[in-house]
Amino acid sequence: MSVYSGKTARLNRLFNPKDGRAVCVAADHGWMSDVTPNVVELARILKLVVEGGADGILISYGTALRLGHLMQGKDAPAVLIRADWMNMPRLGGSNVSNVLPAVNFRKMATSFARDALRVGASAITIYYFIGYSDEFEAINLEQAADFARECRKVGLPLIIEPMAVGGMVTGVNIAEILIASGRIATEIGADALKIPYTGDVKTFKKLVDQAGVPVLVLGGAKSDVPRDALELVDEALRAGAAGTVFGRNVTKAKDPKKMVADICALVHEGKSISDILEEKKEGFFRLKSDPDKCLGCRICETVCQRFHGDGYGQHLARLRIEFPEIGQELKPFKPVVCTLCEKCVIACPTGALKISGEGYLILDRELCTSCGECIAACPFNVMIPDEAGMPIFCDLCGGEPECVRWCKAEALTLVPKKKFITRN
Amino acid sequence: MNIDIGKTIRMSDIIDARDGRSLIVDTTMASVIGATEGLEHVSEAIGSVNEFCDAVIVNPGTAEHHAPLLGGKNRATPVIRVDWTNAFRGEDFCLPATDVKRLMVSDGSDALELGASAVIASLLFGFDDDFESTNIRDLSHLARECQTLFLPLFVDIQPIGDRVSEENFEESIKLGCSFMLELGAEALLIPSCSAETLKFICDWMSVPVLVRQDTLPSKDEIEMIFENGAAGIVLSHRIFAQKNLSNEMEKIHWLIHEKEAVQ
Repeated sequence: MSVYSGKTARLNRLFNPKDGRAVCVAADHGWMSDVTPNVVELARILKLVVEGGADGILISYGTALRLGHLMQGKDAPAVLIRADWMNMPRLGGSNVSNVLPAVNFRKMATSFARDALRVGASAITIYYFIGYSDEFEAINLEQAADFARECRKVGLPLIIEPMAVGGMVTGVNIAEILIASGRIATEIGADALKIPYTGDVKTFKKLVDQAGVPVLVLGGAKSDVPRDALELVDEALRAGAAGTVFGRNVTKAKDPKKMVADICALVHEGKSISDILEEKKEGFFRLKSDPDKCLGCRICETVCQRFHGDGYGQHLARLRIEFPEIGQELKPFKPVVCTLCEKCVIACPTGALKISGEGYLILDRELCTSCGECIAACPFNVMIPDEAGMPIFCDLCGGEPECVRWCKAEALTLVPKKKFITRN
Repeated sequence: MNIDIGKTIRMSDIIDARDGRSLIVDTTMASVIGATEGLEHVSEAIGSVNEFCDAVIVNPGTAEHHAPLLGGKNRATPVIRVDWTNAFRGEDFCLPATDVKRLMVSDGSDALELGASAVIASLLFGFDDDFESTNIRDLSHLARECQTLFLPLFVDIQPIGDRVSEENFEESIKLGCSFMLELGAEALLIPSCSAETLKFICDWMSVPVLVRQDTLPSKDEIEMIFENGAAGIVLSHRIFAQKNLSNEMEKIHWLIHEKEAVQ
């Protein structure tokens, strides 16, 4: 026998029962930040977000009253109510301009769980600030505990959003603080977490593993290009995240509907970022490697030297796979590739080595003196001399790299290269 | 007619009615410093001790999410911790506490709804007077609520403040026990102390006294604790780092509950 509670029913509305994952959009910025276009045009944006296929939308109580009608129907996104308020974006140091800067960090509980139920919510979300001061953390936890108790009584899931901010948080301890705060939130009563990415798959996996409840990664400030946001989603999913709660990366996107659909394609359909963005069509590109995905099969090395016909042997490949050393802690295989950093081009004294009009390295063999300066300048040691002492280097196979084509683990991908230092 | 029967039944889930003894494991440090070694996965951790202890102390969130694991025959019953403090965040934690805080995160009725056989809260002793008075006020309110719910209240006496020294440590335990007995606690958890102090407290207290242990106790330590009148042992989160924990717990369970019966 299983006991079917209100929480179970509501979590089922949020997390797709087929894969246990959810793509949510945070649209509560008008409740705490300055008046930006995504706040003013919220009705239009939310309509697009719904059309994009979001599983949940985080909004304030007032927005639920005003725009909740957009979320009608069985397949519509679940309503998540922001049940507290804070002034962090107005404290300065954020990417949002401050019309009325705040001086003291404040956070208040503003709705009860039963209020959220009345507007058809499937969950409430609250902050848990850690790292600002012991006093402020205690206030946060006390509010979280009050919400947890009420949510248990009324059968409404509680999503806690741990945020490591303040003078006690450094680049060194932030991942550790986030991991601890995720578990603390669960122990207090969170049914799911909305939490920033720790910065790498390994530590985020630890966070997910120890949290014990579904973890939704948040997107933070808007990324310069959609690919950056999607890469964050991809890494979080590989770490075991149950989905996303992206705000500004969706609501400030040129096409919010497409952005949501792209995230859904990653989260629910398992598509690759390259497939989603249909890259390689125009512009310049460079190779990117992902050690976490590399299986160490070395097919990339084989196809590289075979394609270029430099001779026989993987030592002639223009990339290499580094293996964990025997007796050392087991590390992932590490593909080392040319990143088009252009150090070799800068080092070339005769201008023989340059970036082509198509955006990859080319060598004018008539100008090359076999001086070896380019090989010495390569920070990744992926340039080797041929029999004449001239450099053998990655030329992206003329724009369609074989290594990328053959890497079934998708450890090697092509990513956009915005600009070159040495190319006019 | 026993109007306290609810409390009697719940207490008997924790302190075995056959021998008046108890073995309890505390998992609640995870709400203070996150998962500690061996407590990363709650269901596995509880699974390794469930069969051999009488009760497990859990936070409200854990009680809710892992309810199917707790309670019932041959399984530990939940005792829910209703307070939180950062006092145990030392220098080895990523955010050491500089200003000690304590607050209530649950209450008797919430714990009862979560299936608790008892609630537990701490008396953090040796901090400033305001801190101490607020702590005692909160515990008093909890005691009154638990009385109406027939829910046993365990108080965890923690003489850890700056005012506690090696010299006054054991006297601080006695003072804490006195206050909590007067307050209406149904059982007391005290730190490890000398046999003399333990005997003094157990002879004096009319409620069960349980002794906290950070490591798995030896046979001699277990004998000393029960010979001096204690009703049980409470093992801290640190024991989850122990290898072969189930085997060790089985031995301790045997020494506490079955050895006497065999003899």
